[in-house]
Order: sequence, then structure tokens, then C-alpha cells
Amino acid sequence: MTRQTILHDKHVALGAKMVDFAGWHMPVQYSSIIEEHKAVRDGAGLFDVSHMGEIFVDGAGAKDFLNTLVPQDVAKLTDGKAVYCQLTNERGGILDDLIIYKLEENNYLIICNASRYESDFAWMVAAAAGFDVKLENRSDEFALLAVQGPAAVQIIEKLGVSTDQQSFSIKPATIDGVPVWASRTGYTGEDGWELMVENKYAPELWDKILTLGAKPIGLGARDTLRLEAALHLYGNDLDEYTTPVEAGLSWSVAKDKAADYNGKTVIMNQLANGTDKKLIGIKMLSKQIARHDYEVFFNGEKVGKVTSGGVSPMTGSNIALCYVKNLKEICPGTVVQVMIREKLHDAQVVKRPFIEKRSGGK
Amino acid sequence: MSDYTEKILCAKTHEYLLDNNDKTYTVGLTDYAVEQLGDIVFLELPAAGVEFRKGENFAAVESVKAASEIYMPISGRVVEVNDAVVDSPEILNEDNYEKGWLVKVESTSDDTTLAAEMADLMEYEDYKEEVG
Repeated sequence: MTRQTILHDKHVALGAKMVDFAGWHMPVQYSSIIEEHKAVRDGAGLFDVSHMGEIFVDGAGAKDFLNTLVPQDVAKLTDGKAVYCQLTNERGGILDDLIIYKLEENNYLIICNASRYESDFAWMVAAAAGFDVKLENRSDEFALLAVQGPAAVQIIEKLGVSTDQQSFSIKPATIDGVPVWASRTGYTGEDGWELMVENKYAPELWDKILTLGAKPIGLGARDTLRLEAALHLYGNDLDEYTTPVEAGLSWSVAKDKAADYNGKTVIMNQLANGTDKKLIGIKMLSKQIARHDYEVFFNGEKVGKVTSGGVSPMTGSNIALCYVKNLKEICPGTVVQVMIREKLHDAQVVKRPFIEKRSGGK
Repeated sequence: MSDYTEKILCAKTHEYLLDNNDKTYTVGLTDYAVEQLGDIVFLELPAAGVEFRKGENFAAVESVKAASEIYMPISGRVVEVNDAVVDSPEILNEDNYEKGWLVKVESTSDDTTLAAEMADLMEYEDYKEEVG
């Protein structure tokens, strides 16, 4: 049974093309993916991401419990701050990527991927034995609306929410008397907010944000936007057999964290001694598009695979994220080849992200 | 466009075939296929002179969303290629007939075989019903 967010009828009324995604019936595009992509880079876009999961962790043991789950140091979070995390297994493999928010002392919110939050919750419940914590999966109660783009800040202000807010922070606010959690985060490489509200308030808030000038954006442009910003997609670029170090996420791993967590031995060993595979960004040197699962070659040898690939409307090139053998010769500037319809096509390794980060806040 | 929909035959794999009444046939993508693909960003077409069997993959189209193969609706030899649509694939999103056709072919079959190959294709209305 395909599930629907509380905003489903809004998408249909706007003429969106609907698709099944992670068990949800979601809008893939309203007009055109490229137009929607540019609308977010040039102005502001509104995304329904209510399919994502919200897990609340409360209790005196919350901080220590969360610290056993992720390579990041949750103890360093101050009230209202957020951190990008990976939920790791014993091998350091990634079960999901998350954002953990410290709402207040002993009270945390975790935003999880739509396809993963049920298994994440089961994993956390099993891991919680012995900790003084209460876990609640409240994903069905909340809608999540993302307002993204350089003009997001004006829209948030017009909603009556102060925009004097740091990047990667969350705060309670009210919009027309409705309580919301306003978080300055997103998945586009742009400045923006994610507004979490109880389902019943979401349709009105959706309409209001559209009247303030944001364009509705579907999952198609969400994917091209995050790829251009070189943000990982769980299931494509991250999985149980890939560690944060291999995924190019070492920057997010705490190097001096005292507490033990799942996969710490593997992850610390990889940080010290390197990995067998690594994530790279490439730009196609021909007009072909590298897509998920296409093979990557270097000096005539198969060295890896594309995990996400597509167009980059802002650079005009076709771009991809790939995992390749960790050879030092494969670095920005190196030419590799991608097998596309049984022919090899040149691509150049480039720095990630593919476009300059323009996130706001401090 | 209704002009075209009355004259074309369609394959289940979403190609149309238009009889030019000069022994050549124009092959293109149906409006349904174009709509499903969304923003079209890349086309790979064969060179003139190359022969393909009915059902053989002869071209590729890529939209922002996905890559798709394109199949020959009848056995034939390519006699003309629409270079303009290769240069500007977005043309296809606006017009899949007049400007956005792909190739013109000459049949390489005898009349009986060609008739059988054409009988396997559908009238536009039937095709629309089939793809829903």
C-alpha cells in the first residue's frame, strides 16, 4: 500500500506528476525538473518532505545513548544545534544518514530518510536497553516543509519567523499561532529552512508559502539539486557496506570522541591507515550522462562504479558521484572513463561540491 | 498534431512510424513517451546508411530523469537523420513530429514482410488506450 503525505491532494491539484518513492506517492515534478532546479538556485522553492521520519529521544540517558549510535560527538551539541550524522553498524557501514537536533537538555529530535526510519527506529529500540531514554517514532504526526534558495530568508521573515538563526540550528516558532520547529537546514546546497508542523496545520502553511513566492519543487529537482551540491543520497551513495570514511564524510566524524560507538574500531583504523575505496566527483567530457551503476575505468582497468549521476543545470556539464579504488593517481584533474551503452566516455575528476556552497547563516 | 495522430502507427515501445508516401518512413517518439521522459537533454542517433531489423535498438534518448533505448518499428535503412534534434534535444519536448522527428528510413523488406511488420503496430488511438 503506497502511502500519502498530508499534502498529497495539494500536489495533485497543482498538476504534479506523481511517482512511487520509498513506498510513498510523491510529486516528481510540477513543471520541469530543470525549471524547478533553477527556481531554487535563483529564488525559492518549496518541497514537501513529510515522508521523512521524525524520531524523538528523551531522558537523562539520551546523550550517552545517541553517542553509541553515531561517529559524531552528540555530547558537543548545545541546545538548539544540529549535527549531520551517520547511523553505523558494527562494521562501520551506514544504516542511514540523519540529522540529530538537540531541542533542549535530554531532548533530541532525529530526522531520518523515508525509506529507513522504521528500521532505524527498530535498531535504536534494540540498542536502548540499559539506557534511561524514551524513544518515540512520531513520523506519522508531522509534516516537513522545506523552503530553499537565496530568497528563502525573505519568505521565512514574511512568515513572522526571525531569520537571525545559525545554519544547522533549530528553534520553536509560531506562524499564525501555529507551533512549528524551524530549522536552518536543507538538502540543496542553498540557504533554507525546514519547517516541522503537526499534519493538520500543513496544508494551510503550504499554501501560504506558495503565495509568498516559492515555487513547488518535486523529487526530480531535489535529486539534481543535492547532486550538484554533492550531498549523498542514502541507498545510492551510502549503504551498509560503505563507511563514512570511504564516503568522503571524514570531516563529519569526531576524531577525539572518547565514547565508544558502533564501528568505531573500523572507522578510526580507516582514518589512520586509509581505505580500499573512495568517493569521487566527476564531470563528463562528452554529452553522455553517467548514471547509477555504470562502470568506471582508469588506464583500461575497471576501478569502480557510478552511484549517482545526472545533469548539472548550473554548470551545463553532466556530473556524477562514483566509488573507485583508492589510487592516489585518481585525483582532481585525472581523466577516467565511464562505460555508457557499451562505449567508454571520458570524464574528469573534479572537486566536490560541483557548485560553490551558498548556505546562509553562520 | 491531430493531423499526425491520424496518420501514424505506434509501437508498444513508444516509437511512431509515419508513411511519407515516397518509400520512406519517418520514425520518432510518441507524445506519451516524451511526456513521460520530461526534460530531454541528450539524443544519440545512428548515421545514414546503417540498417536495422524491426525491434532492434537503434538510438538512445536521455532525459534528466532516465536513459531510454529507442527501437526500430520496421526493418529498414536509415536515409536521413535529424541533426537539429541531436544538437538541440529539447526540441523534442515542444514538438515530436514536425521538428522533433528522429530518422527517416527505407524499408528493407519485401511487401509481405513489411505488411506483417506494420500490422504489429497500433493506431494512435489504440496505442493511447494501451498506455493509459
